[in-house]
Amino acid sequence: MNFIIKILTAAFAALLFASCDKEQLITEPGSLVPRTVDEDLTLPSITVNGAMLHAEAFGDPDSTIIVCLHGGPGGDYRYMLNCKDLADHGYRVVFYDQRGSGLSQRFPEKLYRDLGLGAVDLMYDDLSGVIAHYRTHANQKVFLLGHSWGAILAAGYVGKYPLAIQGLVVCEPGGLVFDDIIHYVNEARSPNLWSEWSNDITYPDQFITGKKDQHEILDYKLSMRASKNDVTGEDNTKPGSYWRYGAVINSTLYDIGEQYHPDFSQGLTFFEVPVLFLYSEKNHAYPDEWAARISSVFHPVDLTKIAGVGHDGIVSDDEAWRNMTMPKVLSYFNSL
Amino acid sequence: MKNIKISMFILALMLMMNAIKAQTINWGCLNRNDNHILNVNAGLEYGTVFGVGYGYQIKNKLFPLFANVEYSFASGENIFDDMKTKVGLQVRWVDFHNFQFSTRLHGVIRRYENDNIRLVDFGSDLTGVLGYYRKTWFLAAEVGFDKAIITHFKHSDAYHEQYPGALNGWFGPTTGGNFYYGVQAGFSFGKNDVYIKAGKTLTQDFKTTPTVPIYGQLGYNVRL
Repeated sequence: MNFIIKILTAAFAALLFASCDKEQLITEPGSLVPRTVDEDLTLPSITVNGAMLHAEAFGDPDSTIIVCLHGGPGGDYRYMLNCKDLADHGYRVVFYDQRGSGLSQRFPEKLYRDLGLGAVDLMYDDLSGVIAHYRTHANQKVFLLGHSWGAILAAGYVGKYPLAIQGLVVCEPGGLVFDDIIHYVNEARSPNLWSEWSNDITYPDQFITGKKDQHEILDYKLSMRASKNDVTGEDNTKPGSYWRYGAVINSTLYDIGEQYHPDFSQGLTFFEVPVLFLYSEKNHAYPDEWAARISSVFHPVDLTKIAGVGHDGIVSDDEAWRNMTMPKVLSYFNSL
Repeated sequence: MKNIKISMFILALMLMMNAIKAQTINWGCLNRNDNHILNVNAGLEYGTVFGVGYGYQIKNKLFPLFANVEYSFASGENIFDDMKTKVGLQVRWVDFHNFQFSTRLHGVIRRYENDNIRLVDFGSDLTGVLGYYRKTWFLAAEVGFDKAIITHFKHSDAYHEQYPGALNGWFGPTTGGNFYYGVQAGFSFGKNDVYIKAGKTLTQDFKTTPTVPIYGQLGYNVRL
């Protein structure tokens, strides 16, 4: 026994002494997650509604604008970059990372909490600011293309400003009323305490902890959760899936949702433009009945299933995008 | 320099030991002839975990003193990627009319791996336990602090595809810490103890909680 302990002690000591040089701080910007636009001024950005947002636009500035809204809350537009192809078809394609997400500026949790449900209005105001920033003339049409949470945000926006938007593509929003969203999230995550996936999410909490607004640490921990999800058919470990997640906006908007139960379908009856609603074949948490239920608030709606892919594959899978999603989206936008 | 001091401290702590473990002990039925304690346990601690342990009583004239070693692993398809080893000392300081106070101090080595990262951490875990102990049962409260002192990060190719600038190597002087508090209870028969403990975990800022904000353990000891 003594021999074993001595061996263990020696190994432990050797490892500890090996750790004595090149110690780094997990709070150092850029060491674990990329810097945000306010930390790295070489990144493309715009400032709207008091926030520096990571943003890019492609195509003729005077053409019809398509604003791409990413999922999350707290994701970024990297996985949606296939949508850039729409610029080759005569559109002005705008991407931005939402406030507190991706490479956009971070804000304290308190800012959102103090606003309550107003935090969602803040996201709408940011979107209005983005549209205003890129709009070059008053008659320029604006279309929204939202995926997942971005689709929920887009639906909520057109419900609030039905005359401001002339076309809407929603890709697999979990739900539009909060109870539906929670139901979907629970189905999609299927938490099983015994699984590798569950422990991969929970076990690191003893290695790394961050205070409420230590964004580098919290965002990093969320990034470490990026994984394959057999239920939804997502694979966030694929190259180009994300730049940086926004943990604070993610958890705070969920908390606000749980407190206020927002209804993102409010006002949609006043939006009289046809809507293209896309969902994926391999998302087992999104069966045909669920797609029919969630899309039923749009009139009229073209409900289309994208074959062979899961939740994010609708826009991120190159083949599905080229052969199914983009033709469908182009056909829809060109009809408006 | 600070790391060297930490290393020396942990090394000194380990060199003091003959052997080790971290069980929940019924001090009320323990006697000087109980040289060894073997333990198996299962529970919830930052996930679903299973563990085994061994304790060796170090005879001395001052306090009942145990040296412990404990190994636990997280459930899942790969049971070797997420694990924790604790080595340390457990001392009963006070015995007053069956009320007893003990402390545990452990050095911790833990490992975690998923598609994005492999983490290896050296930390410490200090616990105080105050309880009422009888020969056949006990009830106690515990409070403790689990600190991740220094952690080695090794990012996978998959994560470097997302962010090529992610640094590998040692991060410190501390990467995290959690407080915990709870209760433990058990009963003893012959040379056996069955115990249960449960409580709550808080991150070190006292404002947030880990994803699994509670812990619990069902365990069995045999004293030899």
